[in-house]
Order: sequence, then C-alpha cells, then structure tokens
Amino acid sequence: MKTGMRNILLAASLALTTGPALAADPVEITVQRFFGTCDADWGTNTDISKAIGECGIITSQINKFAADNPDIKVNVNTVEWPGYDQLTAQLASGEPPDLVTIHESVLSDYQSKGLLQPLDEVLKSAGVDPAGFTAAGREGVTKDGQIFGLPIDSHTMLWHINMNYFRKAGLVNADGTLILPKTADELLAQAKQFKEKVGKPYLVQSMANEKGAFYRAMYIYLTQMKSDFFADPTHLKLNTPEAKKIVQLFKDIYDQDLTTKDQDYAASLSGFTKGDGGVLLNGTWVVGDFDALSKAQGNALSDGYTVYPYPPVFGGTPAYWSDGHSWALTKKDRSPEQTAAIQKFLKFMADTNFEWARTGHLPAQQAVIDSAQFKALPHVTTILDIAATAKPLPAQVRHQFAVNDIIGEEVAAAIMGQKEIDAALADAETRVNDLLAN
Amino acid sequence: MRSATAHQSDLKNGIFVTPFLLVFSCLLVIPLLWGAWLSLTKADLFGPGKFVGLANYSRLFADKVFLGSIVNTLYFVLLTVPAFAVCGLALALALNRQTRFATVMRAIFFASSVLSVTVVTLIWRIVFIPDIGLLSNIFGWLGLPQVAFLSSPKLAMPAIAIATLWWGIGLPMMLFLAALQQIPGEIYEAAALDNAKRWKTLWHITLPAIRRTFVLVLIVQCVLQFQLFGQAQLMTQGGPNNASRPVVLYVYEVAFRRFDVGMGAATSQVLFALILMAALVQYVVARRKEESR
Repeated sequence: MKTGMRNILLAASLALTTGPALAADPVEITVQRFFGTCDADWGTNTDISKAIGECGIITSQINKFAADNPDIKVNVNTVEWPGYDQLTAQLASGEPPDLVTIHESVLSDYQSKGLLQPLDEVLKSAGVDPAGFTAAGREGVTKDGQIFGLPIDSHTMLWHINMNYFRKAGLVNADGTLILPKTADELLAQAKQFKEKVGKPYLVQSMANEKGAFYRAMYIYLTQMKSDFFADPTHLKLNTPEAKKIVQLFKDIYDQDLTTKDQDYAASLSGFTKGDGGVLLNGTWVVGDFDALSKAQGNALSDGYTVYPYPPVFGGTPAYWSDGHSWALTKKDRSPEQTAAIQKFLKFMADTNFEWARTGHLPAQQAVIDSAQFKALPHVTTILDIAATAKPLPAQVRHQFAVNDIIGEEVAAAIMGQKEIDAALADAETRVNDLLAN
Repeated sequence: MRSATAHQSDLKNGIFVTPFLLVFSCLLVIPLLWGAWLSLTKADLFGPGKFVGLANYSRLFADKVFLGSIVNTLYFVLLTVPAFAVCGLALALALNRQTRFATVMRAIFFASSVLSVTVVTLIWRIVFIPDIGLLSNIFGWLGLPQVAFLSSPKLAMPAIAIATLWWGIGLPMMLFLAALQQIPGEIYEAAALDNAKRWKTLWHITLPAIRRTFVLVLIVQCVLQFQLFGQAQLMTQGGPNNASRPVVLYVYEVAFRRFDVGMGAATSQVLFALILMAALVQYVVARRKEESR
C-alpha cells in the first residue's frame, strides 16, 4: 500500500513538473523584415485596419498573428532597408531567419545558390493557391518552374501631387481635374509656369546620395519608348538616343532650378509634406501615409493630395517599372511544428493582403484586386492600370540591386552636371556589363 | 654551444607566447593567407572558388571606380592623418595640466571616441544637411549661401574627414598626453632658468622628447584611416559621382553586394600592400632621422 501511494505521489509530482513545461513551450519561428521601425506608434496594435503605412501595417499584421496564435512565438528581426547585406551574411554563416521579406528582383540571387526553399508544397499545405496570385506576383516568385516566395504586392514609382499648388499654378482644368504634361517640352513649360505662379520648384526629388529614383525613371521611360536595354539579360545597352533623351530632360529640370536639390530621401519626403514643391517622385509605398496626411488639417497636403503614374512624356505605350515584395523561406532544418507554424504565418499574410494594399501597393492576390473593397480605396482608380502594364526587369538579370545602384549613380552624376551624359551612360554600360560578366 | 638547460628554458618560455601565437595565427596569419588565395579565385560566399590566376587583379586595375577609390583613400589619409597628429598634439599640450578644467576637457574630447560609427554619422548628417542642418542655419544667420557638403564632389570627402577627426581625436590626444607626462619636469625648469621662450621650449625640448610617440600616432592613424568605411557608407554611399568611395567600401560592394568575393579579396590585398608601404615608409624615415642624430 505504501509503495502504491509512493508511486501515485511520484507520478503526480512528475505530471506537475513536466506537464506545464511541455504545454508552455511555444514553437519559435524567426521572421526578418524591412519597412522600418514604428514600435512607438504600432508596437502593440493588433487591429490591422487601424494601422497606416508600410511599417504600421506589417507591424500590426505580425502582432495580430502572434495574438491569434499563442502557441507560436514569432521572433521579429527588423533590418534597415533592404537588408540584403545582413541576409547574405546570415546565410553565409548558416544562421538565417526562417522567413524573410525579399524583393522579387532579388529572389534569383539567393534561389540560384540553393539558399531558399521552394514553397509549392508549403503553400499547398497551408491552403494558399498560387493560381490566386496576380500574374505579376506569380511571375515574380516563380523560378525554374517552382514558387520561391509568397508575393504580397507589386509596386512602382508615381507622381505624388500637391493639388493645392497645382490649383494655384493654374494647372487644373475647369472641372478640377489635373493637367499633366504629354511631352518633355510641355513638362518643362508647365514646370516654369508652376515656379512663376507658386514660387516653388515643380519637382521634389531625393537627389543627395540617392540612386533609386533615377534608375526607376530610366526603366519606366525606356520601356515606354520600347528601348530594349536588357534585350540580352547579361548585357546592358544604355548608351542610346532614348536614354540620352531621358537624362537630358532631368538635367534640364535640374539646370533650370525646377526641382529641389541636395535633399536626401528623408528630407525629400518631409519637404513634400511641408510644401517644398508640386510633385514628389516616389513609390506606391507612401500613398497610404500621404492620403492620411491629406485628410488631416493644417499641413501642405490638407485636402490637396493626389497621385498619378509617370506621364508618358516621350510617347510610346504606357509601361511602368515594377518590382514586388514577397516572403521567402530560407533552407534549413526545421521541426514539423515549425513548418506548420510557417504555413500558418504565410496563410495569414495571404489572407490579410487587402490590409497591405492600403499602403498604396497593388496587392498580389487577384481576388483582392477584383474586390469592391480594394477598388474603394483612395487613389486606386488612377493607378490600377499599372497592374496590367507593370514591367519588371527580366528575372535573368542577376544582382539587380547592384545593377540599379550603378545606373542610378551614373545617371545622377550626369543630371547634376558632374559628368557628361554620354560618358555617364557609357560608364554605366561598362560597369554593369563587367558585373554581369563575372 | 648552448647547454641543455638553456634549451629547456627556451621551451618553457615558448609556452608563455603560445596562446598569443595561436590567436595571432588564427585571426591574422591564416585569414591573410586565405585572402591571398581567394584573390586568385572566382568565388562567391556560398561555394568553392575556381582558380583564375591574376584575372581579378587585371580586372581591378582596369576599373576606373577602383582606381578612383585609391585616389579617394589617399586623399582622405592626407586630409586626416596630419590633422590627427597636429590637433591631437595641440589638444594634449593645451590640456596637459593638473586642473579640474583640463581633466573635464580631456574627458569631453575623448568621449566622442566611444560612440559607434552610426551615431557619429547621424550627428554629422544633421550638421551637414542642407536647409535644416546646423551649418546651414549658421550660414543663414551670416547671410551666406547654402552649401551642400554631402552632395558636392569637392566637399563630400572633407566633410567625412571632419566627422572622422571629431570622432577619433581622443586616441592621439591621449597618446600625446601620456608622452608629455613622461618628460622630466627638471628639463623645463632648466630651460626656464635659461630664459627659454615657450616656442623654443616646444621646439627644442617637447617635440624631440615625444618624437617616437609622434611616429606612433602617424603610423596608427595611417593604418586606421586607410580603412575608412562606415562614415563614407553612411554619409555619402561613396557619392556623389564616386567622389567619396574609399577602397574598403569598394571591397564591401564588390564582395557582398555582387557576390564577387575573389575580386573583393584582390582589392583587399592591394589595400594591405598600400597600408604596409605607408607604415614602412614612415617607420624607416623616422629611424633614419633618429640614427642620423
């Protein structure tokens, strides 16, 4: 009897000590993202619909997922945009995160080295059907016939417009609609008119040590002019009459003081919101922030913000450079529980794709694009066509971020008069082709 | 002929230096040799390389951006190393007193050295940024036009040099202070009795007494400033028009952004040779001067 009682007590004490420990151990996954930090504003928010901007929405999405899944511990690494140097180092050292935000233009760099895990089976088990992705999203994450990312958006560059200034400059029709230039000469004429009437530069640009806006503008206009600058994905052809026309236009704008100068990326953003000029050249990712600002009173954009695709001032057919953000899964050993947690996370991200579209990006789920809810979002109607005309660089172009940096650097030097246009385009060609050849 | 006891003693002494030699070999000698081997290969970070001989070097010396980065780095060294030596010495001379004020000032000047490069560049971007920066405001009060330090090809590197000087002045100042405090006070007392003026004392007593420290500061700063990286990456990204791209930033971009590790390693070897030559020249010149005395 004594022995039986002892056994019961022993079993009970074992159950008390090990039971709660097993139940309390959540499965851990690590997700790594860019899009900035905003913990002060959204660090504890789980109502995604209340969040604004890329950082606010993705922070709230992850918070909501963690709150809904107490059995999963989500460790979040927030990296400085774009974070690929860090990711490369993590992969080289064998300590990568599980899931990582990645541009579709960069996926090939890691996928071709066997560092990412195909997602076909993972998505299938999670109940996410790649057939539901937009064509751009599906194309962006498909490599060698397999899916290597969950696409979450397509994005491009836009003209963010201060309508209050455009009205003052007389650049609106009688019905209040915007007058946009149709040719390069019209653009210069309107910019001069704007400066005379408003006393501010027409364009607000990030020019100080910023490469992004320049290569994107080049891609947009070169594509519209049907210049086959990457007809061969291993060879850039940039020293062309079409490219010269584009650089010359931006140089004329610069030389005639029709743009802000010397602002870096952050300064150009805050400058536009303070009323430094008429048109900010920036991406889809700031539409949500500016729209929220325009609905508040007491700032330069109050009741006066709209957004348009780049006007096709060199003729041709509308076509816009695009890229996409996606979630990729790194290749490493995982427990079945971790894989299940990752499936849940990806399903949640796919299911909340509408919330991400409120940033201004075009969603990657076709059902969201087709929904009345999405079409009712501010400014969607003016940029929706981009979903059909978006043109990413060919996926076979390797190291696209490095290629873009070189083109951006050389074009910036030409626009700011630090180099002859011909020399800059020739140097961009040489440097990019050396990179691609090695 | 040496005795067996002497040999035993040598072996015992060897035990004391073994830990250092191990660490030195693992962290310096092996990476150096490995880097030299990598420079002869076409390699990325994720797989074995392929031997390509001197191909990386011939590509390197045909690259205008690399050659520009060498010029930029030499320019930066010229801007900063003499400034570190002169300003460090001037500060040390000014603060070489046993007063509370001097102690506080020494702490203040040294304090910037403990900041990370991220903090330093954040501070100096705020100083240099047009429209709202500190210098911009000062220029505005004086009625002077705005100067875009970080987006001007002529001013970008001097701007980085100023930030670097502010950041690193603590170390040379402390080295000079330590050297100054080694000079016996009697020599100054004797000079005072001889009615020697301050300038003469400095020129004939102080400077000769600290010449070894002076050479040390020059060599240490040369080695450090040849490795300019974080400030250039965070303040200008090497621009505008490659005007502030130093060699280490070039290495970083080539090796980590383009996955061209072989070429990055070849660049590192060239940088190593440059630093070695600069340090050796200073050392040899200093020794010759000393021997000729």
